[in-house]
Amino acid sequence: MSGATDQYLDLPRPPRAMGKRLAVGIAVLAVLSWAFLGTQFNPAELIAGLPKMADMAKQSWPPDWGRLFDPADYHLPEELTWQQTLLPSPLTEEQQEIREAWWANTWPQTILGGTIQTIQMAIAGTALAALFSFPLGFLAARNTSPHPSVYYSVKVVVNVLRSIPDFAVGLVLISAIGLGPFTGVSALAFATTTVLVKLFSEAIENIDQGVVEAIQATGANRFQVYSFAVVPQVMADFISFVIYRFEANIRAATVLGLIGAGGIGLLMNADFRTFQYQQAAVSVLVLIVLVLIVDFASARLRRMVQ
Amino acid sequence: MTRQPTSILLPRDLDLVQVSGLHKTYPGGQEVLKGVDLSFRPGEFVAILGLSGAGKSTFLRCLNRLVEPTSGRILVPGMVVDRPDDAVVDIVRVKGQELQRWRRRVGMVFQQFNLAKRLSVLDNVLSGSLGYAHPTMSSFRLFSEQERARALRNLDRVGLLPLAYQRADAISGGQQQRVAIARALMQCPAMILGDEPVASLDPKLSLSILELMRNICREDGITVLVCLHVLDLAKRYADRVIGFAGGQVVFDGPPDKLDDISIRRIYQARTEELKGFSA
Repeated sequence: MSGATDQYLDLPRPPRAMGKRLAVGIAVLAVLSWAFLGTQFNPAELIAGLPKMADMAKQSWPPDWGRLFDPADYHLPEELTWQQTLLPSPLTEEQQEIREAWWANTWPQTILGGTIQTIQMAIAGTALAALFSFPLGFLAARNTSPHPSVYYSVKVVVNVLRSIPDFAVGLVLISAIGLGPFTGVSALAFATTTVLVKLFSEAIENIDQGVVEAIQATGANRFQVYSFAVVPQVMADFISFVIYRFEANIRAATVLGLIGAGGIGLLMNADFRTFQYQQAAVSVLVLIVLVLIVDFASARLRRMVQ
Repeated sequence: MTRQPTSILLPRDLDLVQVSGLHKTYPGGQEVLKGVDLSFRPGEFVAILGLSGAGKSTFLRCLNRLVEPTSGRILVPGMVVDRPDDAVVDIVRVKGQELQRWRRRVGMVFQQFNLAKRLSVLDNVLSGSLGYAHPTMSSFRLFSEQERARALRNLDRVGLLPLAYQRADAISGGQQQRVAIARALMQCPAMILGDEPVASLDPKLSLSILELMRNICREDGITVLVCLHVLDLAKRYADRVIGFAGGQVVFDGPPDKLDDISIRRIYQARTEELKGFSA
């Protein structure tokens, strides 16, 4: 019996590539030390900075909840009742102007207003991107593009544009169209379109071609084939990509706010720069709760469409 | 307003399709069809036999140009593609709308059924009328009441009316193939091509699907061409058997003329090895 076992153990084995493993190990170590040295890695500095961080945390505690809950911090116009400002109600022309000025200028400067504006920016930017990327995805997929030249040019352009980070797009747009949430929306729409086109066109390339054949065989034209053979196979993926990007765009919209493109990021930046840590802490906490809620809702929604 | 499609009745003694010198070489250099000459009559039930790679599937796909033939001719009477002058048309040379008009007269069923799984059974059946439907409306999956009625009638004919609003992936394989047949019927086809239509089904379902296809062939005078690999099924249902081997036709005749020599030629093997084929 042991003889039989030996017989199997004697079968030729592939040689162990010890040299190769060693080389890979050395290469990984070299890259890691190169990266740490280049970035002046210094844990001592981090440790030395700890008391300052503790100090900052102490200064921001307790958060100034008044900014979120105190009606005074919303600077409602004295000329109007709060119902007249917040709810649709009959107003004179002059009152109308006051009301609009408050909504346009004061409301986005409040914590609640800024947060809601960030959400609005993420929704609008993602929706525009979904609108653009749906047709572009078909052009950028090998199996649905009308011509190889269209496929290659759309793919190359989108790949190049995707390499631009969204805050860089934001900086360019700020110098072009100025500060404000519309700039943020445009930057998000731009950056998100390039990502969605890639994801969507890859989903289209992975469909079951058999259904396409079957619909072509009925004498259907190009758009009928898209509608019956392609869209039903990729729609769930597309919706799921859009929801996922919305989730990412909530965070991206905050970062865009830091560079001046509206929303809660703008407030947070202003508070940090003026050392109002107790106020900044409120923005940070609100943002954490918002991101958690959106993450949870997004996961639920994406499970529902699949 | 689009008109309701009607079926075409050709005189029985006129050929529906005349194929001559059909060659197909794939881009890799693989020559799959090496000069095929065949013609088909209206209302024939034809079984095509052959090993994998013999060229059966490529031949069927050349007929509706899902595969582009390298050379050869496929002639059909002009009335089949709704030409007013009724001149003979070479399908190898048509393109655009005229190709779509030919395709809408040729139904096709597949081994894997190829239904749009997330659409309803009814929408899948309706997709068979795309060649006749309003191009824009139908792209939004909107069809006239007459078309919906026709779809439900065809669904009833294959025995699946109660499943009209089920999703296509919620029904069994045999039912999916029936939906695919109803989709083909929506085309008011002159011909139905079956690419191994029963190869994914159990023996009992295979019989019921082939029986359904033969009834359609008999009742509507539709030419049916099916690739099969089970010899007994071909013998049982076909009016005519065509054997393919190495990209050429090696047998063409009624099933009772299929002797051991021709079977050997089709399967390129000794008869004893063929016991399994005719189980």
